[in-house]
Amino acid sequence: MATVVVARPAARPTPRARDEEVLVWPDLVFVEFISALLFTMLLFILSFVMNAPLLDEANANVTNDPAKAPWYLLNLQELLLHMNAALAGIVVPTVWLIVLAAFPYFDRSSDGQGRWFADVNSVKNTVISLMVGFWGTLALILWNSGKVALWLKDWFGFSGGDTLAFLERSAALKDPSVVPWPDWADSIPYLWFNLKILDEGPGAGVTTFQKIDLPTLLVDIGIPAGFMVGLTCLLIYFFWKINWVHTRRDALITLMSGFVGAFLMLTIIGTAFRGPGQDLIWPWDLRTLEGIPGQE
Amino acid sequence: MAVEQPTQPTLGDQIYDKLFHNYVWKSIFRTGYPNTPRNQMLVIATNVFLHLHPTRIHRTHVKITHTYCLGGLTFFMFLGLTVTGILLMFYYVPSVDRAYLDIQNIQTNVQFGQLMRNMHRWMAHAMVILVFLHMLRVFYTGAYKPPREFNWVVGVVLLVLTFLLSFTGYLLPWDQLAFWAITVGTNIAGSAPVLGPKTRFWLLGGFEVGPDALIRFYTLHVIGLPLLAAIFMAVHFWRIRRDGGLARPL
Repeated sequence: MATVVVARPAARPTPRARDEEVLVWPDLVFVEFISALLFTMLLFILSFVMNAPLLDEANANVTNDPAKAPWYLLNLQELLLHMNAALAGIVVPTVWLIVLAAFPYFDRSSDGQGRWFADVNSVKNTVISLMVGFWGTLALILWNSGKVALWLKDWFGFSGGDTLAFLERSAALKDPSVVPWPDWADSIPYLWFNLKILDEGPGAGVTTFQKIDLPTLLVDIGIPAGFMVGLTCLLIYFFWKINWVHTRRDALITLMSGFVGAFLMLTIIGTAFRGPGQDLIWPWDLRTLEGIPGQE
Repeated sequence: MAVEQPTQPTLGDQIYDKLFHNYVWKSIFRTGYPNTPRNQMLVIATNVFLHLHPTRIHRTHVKITHTYCLGGLTFFMFLGLTVTGILLMFYYVPSVDRAYLDIQNIQTNVQFGQLMRNMHRWMAHAMVILVFLHMLRVFYTGAYKPPREFNWVVGVVLLVLTFLLSFTGYLLPWDQLAFWAITVGTNIAGSAPVLGPKTRFWLLGGFEVGPDALIRFYTLHVIGLPLLAAIFMAVHFWRIRRDGGLARPL
């Protein structure tokens, strides 16, 4: 009698590792429930001890000084003090969000997912990049606000004078006594007709493109953009040289951690260290701080 | 040989039966109380709210240090903000004449009004912080990697929407803090090349912060942006499941 041989796969697919799995009820649902409960309690306590701020009624004729955006935008407001408004307020955040969204399309490897700091060197890469972003931003803010120059003068009696003023503040480069700009430098025509796009009402004018102001372009756009892009590339290059950055993932860790450091420092300075006239002051000299009872 | 005899049901068993094996309970929940593995899986699979979850999960994913619940807590803040926001909407009229008085009224005349306003404010701040931390968690655990690329992009959109939700809510108390914060904030938007002044005009409904800005921010805050955020959240959560749950080492 002929034996019917049924073809079978040589081996069954390995069963899912059931012993590695737990049931969502109760193991996950309870964790979620407890964390939600904990947060509700914390927020209730916070709401009991601290009132939401309410100042006087809005009045367009009485300017708040310092007038500040919500705290999560104060990093942008801080940037605005150091560069061209469109660069700080629009170009930087837009470009950054696009870069952020593009992360997974740049780093396409699936290695090292699902674990904290899975890659070699990623912890020291993160910590050092974070520190460089954090303290580097502080150094740049202090330099560009003229504080460094002030301290150099106060503590060491050193003053760069007019010629070296750009070492103390980049804006000095606009000054004709520092850089002998030719007369035509601040009005280089590049459009020989009057181009106006959506240009109307108060505050309009930024869309009128006719002339380039070279010193302003250099100080307000060139130098800050150069610092932001250049220093980032320099840091990644340096880490590549010392073998901390091997893969695209490593480069992204440097980029992201540096960003977080800079973002934190800008937010902290903008929130707690900017007083009337956007001058740098100590936090305890700030009069209106959101949410502190008796001070709102 | 002794045979185990059935024992009389205890009082606890009787109460349990009355509570979970009655006609009404079974009309609502298809399973009994989830005290057996079968019922525990069924309750996740058959409950409309819980079925966002799989029935089983890898044990490393329930470790608190893996996610710190940051994404879930962000969503929880969104839910809390919806509840407290709706309560505040009962008393608040977005007109320049009434807005500030209504806020004062909520704080002084409405029972638990101050508490509701405080909760709404602090939850909003908490949501911004949590969503940022959630992004960092996803980044540092490499959870944006294939096949989760698109969900990372959806996450970036949700981050922006969270900022916008918070920003539009900032104007509503119509006090000096709100007025000047929004003036500064929209000036930042107005500085964009080419489209800046027009964007600012569209946001404010005019050249400066006034009644038109208030109604625009209010509408965006209470319906436009939450609706958009809810749609993106639905996609975000759906994709977590479709992309194989939380990321874990391959």
